[in-house]
Amino acid sequence: MALPAVLAAGGLWLAGASARPDVSTGDGVVLLGLLIGAPVSLQAYPILFRPADDGFLRRLGIPASALFGVRALRLLLVALAVVFALMIPFVSTRQPLLRPLGVALAAAMAAWAVSLWAQARAAVHTSGGVRAPVDKLLGWDPELVAAGALVYAPLYPLLAGAAAARFAGADAWSAPLRLGLVFILSLAVVPIAAGAFARALPRFAPHAGELAYAPPPDATGGELVIGRGIARVLPRRVQAVRARDAVVLGRRYRWAGRAAWPVAVVCALAVVRAGGSPAVRAWVTLACGLLLVAQAGAVVALGRSERGRTRGMDRALGLRPGDRLVGRWAAAFGLALGLALPLAAGWSIGIGGNGGGTWLAAAAGVAAVASLASLAAAGR
Amino acid sequence: MMDGALPLTVRALRKKYRRRVVLDAVTFDVRPGEAVALAGPNGAGKSTLIGCITADRVPDAGEVRICGADPFGEPRAAAVCMGFVPEQPFLYPELSLAELLRFVAAARGLDPDASAVETARLLALLGLAGAEQTLCRELSQGMGRKTAIAAALLHRPRTILLDEALNGLDRTSAERLVAELDARRAEGAAVLISSHDLDFLAGWCGRGILLPQAGRWAALDGAAWEEWRRAPRLEP
Repeated sequence: MALPAVLAAGGLWLAGASARPDVSTGDGVVLLGLLIGAPVSLQAYPILFRPADDGFLRRLGIPASALFGVRALRLLLVALAVVFALMIPFVSTRQPLLRPLGVALAAAMAAWAVSLWAQARAAVHTSGGVRAPVDKLLGWDPELVAAGALVYAPLYPLLAGAAAARFAGADAWSAPLRLGLVFILSLAVVPIAAGAFARALPRFAPHAGELAYAPPPDATGGELVIGRGIARVLPRRVQAVRARDAVVLGRRYRWAGRAAWPVAVVCALAVVRAGGSPAVRAWVTLACGLLLVAQAGAVVALGRSERGRTRGMDRALGLRPGDRLVGRWAAAFGLALGLALPLAAGWSIGIGGNGGGTWLAAAAGVAAVASLASLAAAGR
Repeated sequence: MMDGALPLTVRALRKKYRRRVVLDAVTFDVRPGEAVALAGPNGAGKSTLIGCITADRVPDAGEVRICGADPFGEPRAAAVCMGFVPEQPFLYPELSLAELLRFVAAARGLDPDASAVETARLLALLGLAGAEQTLCRELSQGMGRKTAIAAALLHRPRTILLDEALNGLDRTSAERLVAELDARRAEGAAVLISSHDLDFLAGWCGRGILLPQAGRWAALDGAAWEEWRRAPRLEP
């Protein structure tokens, strides 16, 4: 925990002026408000609602107001931490701190209070079956529409943070008066949020569990098939590992596969149409390289999630380390091929030379490194 | 794997956690067709003993052989012979029940058609027919345990290790499982089963290993077993 915090603080310190909104302008204060409102609004749900232990604490007789108080304070600490983090670039560049700090505190207070209210209200609506017309915009998935209030809840604190920052940074009245007004209004929202939280909690915790129900894989796509396509050249045990890892990767880290196609199509078209431009080649290389690294991260994360569990299962099944490595590599390479194949084809057409083959080799190499790291992360 | 080797041999097994000795010179065999009880209170070392047999724990001293194979030195041979249901089975939450068993069959190198037939039979036996497409993350505790049992029995192992495997099973499924294990024993398989249901162990098993507390153990054979099964208890 300490190391990432120090690294983030160091990064903000070094970033200096480039990480510092210009709070002398209206746009700058709104940006500062959004930067503070975003993490607060996204952290509000996991801090306020914890279905895993809400039921346990309820059975112990702990009142909802006590849970709300502790969790609201926790969210406030997060908001203040964000404020102090965003002040680092101002300190490192020796800028006056009073104005940005006032704006940031106003945004944090508003985002905090509105987060509490918006999440508690969303929980009341979700568990009570209340549907707003705007929820239907989420699509045809009834489960997602049922959770529509929760999906939209982070928008309110984001907007509140921006609005509070704009108000605190305005020229009307004196700064302490503006700040005091934001604080008073924010604190006035908290009891309303506490009441909504107490109403929501008994029904929301079990309801949230039901919302998390995962339907059978027929509806989610990608069935486990052993020995499909080119994988048939592999030994059967390796085929089994490849199929399992491919399915688990595809379902647990769906983004890794879904992100590949749009990036691949855009990048392939770009190199076909303008591959002669060094700038195009540079951003295509950067985008595809980053995606390959992100996919490798998913493969490593799969290993971490298996730590101390699957290793035992694989041993009981008689799988050798080599079976696991080759199978995982084949799954990781298969994931990367969604990006590498269209890109290699586009590169060969648009630029020529060995670039296409190099992309395939790079995908295979990254998959190999990721697979080794994944199995190392899985441990004994 | 040596032909004619005993399903399970444990010799002078010793295991300690830091300075606390949990298993001390544990020695026993499990012969074909036998069902051997492993009894003891919580924390006495039952799961540690089974873990040392399955190579999930590294013993400090002693020797384990599964069908003659060292589970550390010859893991493939030991795996072919062994079917193990851990106390807390791990199932891939992202795989459906059918997918998990298909993976297990392929990883063990079983014939796909034959293993599909055996899978269907085991699922019907354990009351899981119709739940094949359910994701493992949505299985109840009992259904998850039944899935782990099906995965352990799919390749018809000679050495069956069950760590609290009957916990959470409904009565019908438990009775069917016991009947299946009896059939496997009649074919020469051996069962080592740990449980807190002493009456069940006394009624079903032919002898036992008792771990009354960490670091102590007793083999219950012959007259000692007959005496113990008349009044099952956690002391020798």
